[in-house]
Amino acid sequence: MPPKPAHKRVPLYGFLSAVKGNLEALTIGLKYFLNPNRSTLHYPREYIKLRPGYRGYIVLNKAKCIMCDSCARICPAAAMKMVRFQAPDPKRPGKMKLYKYPVINYQRCIFCGFCVDVCPTEALRHVPAHDVVYLNLAEMELDLDRFQVEPKSPAEVEGGIPVKYIFDPDRGLVKVRATEGGGGSGG
Amino acid sequence: MGWISVIGEWFFWPPFFQLVIAPGLVAALVIVIFILWFERKTAARVQMRVGPYNVSPRLGGALQLIADLVRYSFQEFIIPFTVDKAAYVAAPLLMLIATVLPAAVMPMSPVLPYSYSWPNIMEYNLLLALALLTISPIFTVAAGWASNNKFSLIGAARESFMITAYELIFIIAVLATAAPVHSYDIVRIVEAQRTWRVMALLNPPAFLAALIAVLMSTSGFPFEIPESEHEVVAGPFTEYSGLMYGVEMGAAYIKRYIMSVLMALVFFSGWKPLDPTPGAGVWSGYVAPLVVVLIKATIIMAVISFLRAVYGRYRLDQALHLAWRLALPLALIGYAIGLLYGYLGVL
Ligand code: SF4
Ligand code: SF4
Repeated sequence: MPPKPAHKRVPLYGFLSAVKGNLEALTIGLKYFLNPNRSTLHYPREYIKLRPGYRGYIVLNKAKCIMCDSCARICPAAAMKMVRFQAPDPKRPGKMKLYKYPVINYQRCIFCGFCVDVCPTEALRHVPAHDVVYLNLAEMELDLDRFQVEPKSPAEVEGGIPVKYIFDPDRGLVKVRATEGGGGSGG
Repeated sequence: MGWISVIGEWFFWPPFFQLVIAPGLVAALVIVIFILWFERKTAARVQMRVGPYNVSPRLGGALQLIADLVRYSFQEFIIPFTVDKAAYVAAPLLMLIATVLPAAVMPMSPVLPYSYSWPNIMEYNLLLALALLTISPIFTVAAGWASNNKFSLIGAARESFMITAYELIFIIAVLATAAPVHSYDIVRIVEAQRTWRVMALLNPPAFLAALIAVLMSTSGFPFEIPESEHEVVAGPFTEYSGLMYGVEMGAAYIKRYIMSVLMALVFFSGWKPLDPTPGAGVWSGYVAPLVVVLIKATIIMAVISFLRAVYGRYRLDQALHLAWRLALPLALIGYAIGLLYGYLGVL
């Protein structure tokens, strides 16, 4: 025979505190019902306005790059690779020169930002966007040309409303409309 | 005048009108669809979400329920090999019918528009309504049993545990309103309540017990135990799909609606701001009181829906503990108060 389950006796103060707890729960529920604080992000219609320093997608400024290879070396995920090609040297007419520039594979990138930090000439920088869509995996391996194009958030392109979440001491996290230049949240 | 009056007489014939139009099936569907939307919106509001929205942003997603209905009705209705076919198909339909039946005996007005021989002023309509209300859970258990699936069986077993707990509470709590007026007639119970002297205020223990019983019987939070998603998928309804699933889920809400109508009648003085006299016509004598009762019932349902947003779910043993140790004594106290009122002749 299975052992009889032990039933906990509920003393009176336990009962009263349960009544109190129920009333408190109902009051809080009613408070939120009358004064809702919705934090849902209606994504394509609204998007989170990210701060300039946000570690989002990475763009290369080819003109600043000195081909030092540091970014490819430091990348912990082996997402950054150098591509090499021969091209005419502008300083020595008629001669060819070996160029190498970084390209990125977003299938591997973990957005750690090491490459941006290590770059001695600030040729790499983060873009405050994190919701770029690729149609297939092959597209996520950028070539040199596409690595220089700044990716844009589709919600921003389609005219969504920029919002940010701020902390309100009374109401917790509150979603408000982000004004131009007023910074953003996230990061 | 002749034709209209004949058609009207047929239309308002109580066995048809009360069962099929209002407070029966049609009114039930309209109000249940509204309440389902309200429930989802309320839960979302309280829980910092948005709820149904995208289907019709202007209306706050009100058409979502219509969309759901359409989706359910076009979904394939699969009958698995292992089920007991006859019972499996019959259970949801019988459940729906049994759920609406009590509407036929609940008077919505003290007077009837035409001189029917239908005894609207039936002496025992409260008892009849309570008795008819107890039929439908049998089919929930039958659905679980016929499904031949472990989740369905567990859900059905839980449901049967709950039935034994809530039936008694609801019946005692509602009968507590019959004692003061020395009658099982809903019309007399309603007529006895005046302005602020409604039964819910005069007899709060009975009202609270009845409310808990309604929550338990219709799987409202915090008693959504037979169908609790996280534990037993959809309980007795696990094997059902398509329209049949919709019917079963709807039946629980229709039952809540019918119980709310009954509570609006006996606890909240039914049609009371209005006072139809025998000479009144169809609209002021019959339809207007009906609308008042339905509005009160909708408000009760809305309050019950609000609870969903606040409460979690009890375990089965906690729910039964609450039912037997708290709600049943409450109902008995309520009944004692009712008897006292009856003895003193308060109403
Ligand atoms: S962000 Fe990190 S993972 Fe991505 S390419 Fe730069 S170093 Fe590599
Ligand atoms: S670290 Fe900067 S400068 Fe060096 S190769 Fe990479 S991008 Fe070019």
